[in-house]
Amino acid sequence: MTARVVAMAARRTGGALLAACVILAVLPAVLELSSYTHNQLTLLFITISGALAWNWMGGFVGQVSFGHAAMFGVGGFVAGRLMLSLHLPPPVCWVGGAAAASIFALGGHPLLRLRGPYFSIATIGVGEASRVIFTYWERFTGGSSGLSLPIDADLKYRLYWWALVLAGCMAAASVAIRRSSFGLKLLAIKADADAAADVGISATFYQDLIFVLSAAVIGLSSGLYASYQSYIEPADMFGFERSIAFVLMAVIGGVGTALGPVLGAVVFVLVRLYLLSSRPDLYLGLYGGLLILIILFEPLGLTGLYRRGQRWVRRASGQAPGGAP
Amino acid sequence: MARLVDMLVSAVLLAGLYATMAYGLGLIYGVLRVVNLAHGGVIMAGAYLSWYLHEQLGLDPYLSIPVVFGASFALGVVLYQGLVRRLPRGAAGGPASLLLLFGVWLVLRNIAYLLFTGNDQVLRTAASSQSVAVLGSHVAVNRLVVLGIAAAIGVLLHLLLRRTQVGRAIRAVAQNADSCTLVGIDVNRIYALSFGIGTGLAGVAGVLLATIFSFNPSSGSSELLKSFVVVVLGGLGSIYGVALAALIVAVVEVFAIYVLPSYLTAAVGFILLVLVLVLRPGGLFGQRVLS
Repeated sequence: MTARVVAMAARRTGGALLAACVILAVLPAVLELSSYTHNQLTLLFITISGALAWNWMGGFVGQVSFGHAAMFGVGGFVAGRLMLSLHLPPPVCWVGGAAAASIFALGGHPLLRLRGPYFSIATIGVGEASRVIFTYWERFTGGSSGLSLPIDADLKYRLYWWALVLAGCMAAASVAIRRSSFGLKLLAIKADADAAADVGISATFYQDLIFVLSAAVIGLSSGLYASYQSYIEPADMFGFERSIAFVLMAVIGGVGTALGPVLGAVVFVLVRLYLLSSRPDLYLGLYGGLLILIILFEPLGLTGLYRRGQRWVRRASGQAPGGAP
Repeated sequence: MARLVDMLVSAVLLAGLYATMAYGLGLIYGVLRVVNLAHGGVIMAGAYLSWYLHEQLGLDPYLSIPVVFGASFALGVVLYQGLVRRLPRGAAGGPASLLLLFGVWLVLRNIAYLLFTGNDQVLRTAASSQSVAVLGSHVAVNRLVVLGIAAAIGVLLHLLLRRTQVGRAIRAVAQNADSCTLVGIDVNRIYALSFGIGTGLAGVAGVLLATIFSFNPSSGSSELLKSFVVVVLGGLGSIYGVALAALIVAVVEVFAIYVLPSYLTAAVGFILLVLVLVLRPGGLFGQRVLS
């Protein structure tokens, strides 16, 4: 019976995801979105993919990274360089960026044997070091003046669907991983790496695997972002604030939940839009305060709140918990 | 040769600052098993407090050390009692405490930004423009004073932990908190006290930092990382280990600055951190900080 319930829930989530993607895909044709809304939605989809990818590492395996901006920067600049120097079509460049980001992540292999705070602090080191080094490496990144990429208004318009497909695939992949035996292995590593090794789950292998996958997606989303902005600079792409944003989106939405980061990214982007236009000086502090409140009162963020609300509604409507199948 | 002596002298002087930065982080980790991610933020706050006292009241930064220590001690006790203590048991050492204290750091940064804007500040005193000759190289007086204060703090901390009843209690709690409850030690109070002393020392490190380098609200990440390197290298066993590790970090940094292009020197601390964590996670003396 439980298997049937799970299968039903999976089908329901899958259906809802597909419906959401279809609605968003036809939205520009139906509603005649203003170009501002169109662009903001494109950026939102790119951001959602990044938040979900961070969550694979920080949520599923519990290795909190404060340095994902390093992969974002590598992916974006490799994609940009491929466009500028080899004039390859953008999708090829994005894949190139994704490949570069995953190779960069493979180089982080020695760090992955560190756990908990040691890993997190090391990622601060990697993130900051790569920002300094890539800013210094002018021939590749253009230094502090950055790179100007070819501007293609048509591509920028079509990026909406590219980004939507990426975000949709990421959401589906997150749900699939969460429900698979692979996801269970990651959970086991998160709970206790040594105990997981005792039952034959190699923490090293699975962590490397998920780290490389996460980096590939971050690199891909960064390529899309580079095409969208058509101007990239190291201080922004490798910035500490970008690393922080990944953490915040996942925490706000619900660390380790399959789809929480989607919600987190939506809230994060909306709040940032509002803050940047009205109170840019409160930007960091508000997020810091939010982080403190969430960790203290609802470690699963918005997802936790949603589940709480669900329980409350069920109780209020007099149904027994669990309900009749 | 003269150049080598110059570099060694400046490394020794820098080591005092690094040791002071590391004491607080090491104490909190040793007792509570929590990495205080707000450490860099408290260092930055200490720097601003002494700068503010100097600008507004004309208080000499070295004389403001007790004030800054008191203020950051109070901040630490409030942080522990208000936030860290409320984490569920077992979560205190995990990602939850990291994210929580990271949030505190962001808030501290924002407060500093609102109060003092994002501009770089420097603390200039009479001592920063004088120099004396040491081993044939000219040394700024303020750097000598910083080294002296750092050494004094090390000795005081050593005496506190080894020669007093409270220090014995702190060391006992670090070893086994459950047994301490059995013999009637108020573990929670020791935790609050250790967190307070740890952040207090971070504040003092901020004062010392402000008298040598410029700072702004985003300062603190490289200080946090260097402190962490020193703690991992030196272990939690003794003040001497920390001092030696601080010296090693300072020597590596000073020599790297000499070899590398100037722009890359900002990355030295970060690279050193990654290298130490990967190559020597057990520290120099085999007392593993890593669990």
